[in-house]
Amino acid sequence: MKKIYKQCLPLLTILAATNADAELRFNGFASIHGTQVTSDGSTPPFPEYNANENFSFKEQSLFALQASADLGEGLSATVQFVSEGKNNFNTVARWAYLSYQLNDNHMITAGKLANPIFYQSEYEQVGFAHNFARLPKAVYIGLDFSTIEGIALDSTFYIDNYTLTTKVLYGSWAGTVFLSSTGQDETLGLEDVMSVRGTLSGDWWNIYAGTFISTMVGGSVDTNAVLAAAQPGVTAALAAGATQAQVDEFNNTIKWGDKDGIYSYAGFNVDLNNFLVDFEITNYGVDDSSDAFNTGWYLSAGYRVRDDMTVTVHTEKNEQDVDLAYLDGVSNPILYGTGKAISEGLGFREFEANGVSVRYDFHPSAALKVDFLSGEDTRPTVGDYTMMTVGIDMVF
Amino acid sequence: MKSVLVILSLLFSASAFAGISVIVHPSNSTSLTEDEVARIFLGKMKSFPGGGSAVPINAADGSNQRDTFNDVVLQKSSSQIKAYWSKLIFTGKGTPPQEADSDSEILNLIKSNPNLIGYVSNEAVTGDVKVVAQF
Repeated sequence: MKKIYKQCLPLLTILAATNADAELRFNGFASIHGTQVTSDGSTPPFPEYNANENFSFKEQSLFALQASADLGEGLSATVQFVSEGKNNFNTVARWAYLSYQLNDNHMITAGKLANPIFYQSEYEQVGFAHNFARLPKAVYIGLDFSTIEGIALDSTFYIDNYTLTTKVLYGSWAGTVFLSSTGQDETLGLEDVMSVRGTLSGDWWNIYAGTFISTMVGGSVDTNAVLAAAQPGVTAALAAGATQAQVDEFNNTIKWGDKDGIYSYAGFNVDLNNFLVDFEITNYGVDDSSDAFNTGWYLSAGYRVRDDMTVTVHTEKNEQDVDLAYLDGVSNPILYGTGKAISEGLGFREFEANGVSVRYDFHPSAALKVDFLSGEDTRPTVGDYTMMTVGIDMVF
Repeated sequence: MKSVLVILSLLFSASAFAGISVIVHPSNSTSLTEDEVARIFLGKMKSFPGGGSAVPINAADGSNQRDTFNDVVLQKSSSQIKAYWSKLIFTGKGTPPQEADSDSEILNLIKSNPNLIGYVSNEAVTGDVKVVAQF
């Protein structure tokens, strides 16, 4: 808690110092979800879950409280605290930022804020805002750099009956990512993140596209996953006559650090006559490195059976493209074989699933969700898996 | 007899609510389409077509006026609207309109501020405000 307080001290000071005329608004959201996961190989398909155990109300449950102070003249300060079950309900300041409304069309935001890696990343955790118990993992796999430190410009343009919203962001991030090849979180960093997104909306449809590029800081992904995995091959290559210069060049080739991390996404959604369709496709990876680019997509179709009940079916898939072109400059066959093995190891995991979700708005501010998912993961330790979730999402 | 009374009371309450009027300050010369009214109340349009900032005032949650406005103008259920605003609130991109408890409170607010736009039941409209649309 001390850490949280320290992180947010400047913003808390501003919030506390607002004069009596400033409007202080509190909003919150919460999800209480019970989830049961089965896996043929006994390893859970996603690291935050346990497989083949009873319903657990821990992994998908969370509470969040947001405080926003309107300081007048278009200036506001916002802080959002989130306690997630998967993190033992430790409270963290997910967002803490200052916003300035330049005019009706443009708002500038600075601080710790949302990085729209994918279309719904900004409100991924607000279960009440969507119809799933969890957004499809093939796209929303839980990358922590959906929150970064930086500055963003949100703009809105009206073109006849259409609305174009854009977001341009610059920032950086340091944290951890889960790697299936090591089976644990590894440290990673992103510097000079440049992100651009555009959404064109009509009355009943939205189409969107976005991309971001950053310079990677390899962290323990490089030391524990990439370079550590290469070490036996490097030792063998040196013993077979490879030069140290060849090894150094090889290490630089396979590592993620100083390479470009590239994320892009596009999709559309439709809400017409109670029929709902969503499609999103993403492609991301670390360019010119041992990382394989992921392509994830989902397609969902829903129907609003009544004003308070929506049934949605969806299909999702996450694939990896192991492209060995980055090894073209590696002439030593042992090193080439080592790089190939690392890329294939990092790019081995793929999964696909089909699901059905029912949302029942039993209260204007609360929805009951029942969600069943059946999938298949290429890792032998996972194989076929199912996820059953029953829970409540609310806003307040 | 009891059920007849219940039906009669339901019929009476339904007929007592004839519709809503969207109102602005009398000095506001703007004209608005239904779509523009919806966009103002969804935070997608922040100025009147003729100029000047547009600040919407909602009727109380659960009131007949609010339900009618949601159904007819916004064409969404209360939960759908709450989900819509959740996306904006928790991404820092907007806040829902302020609420007023009654028709008389809305009338008092509108007649004293040219930037405000609200809606009241048709029967509540007075000469202190200008009606720009009726539903």
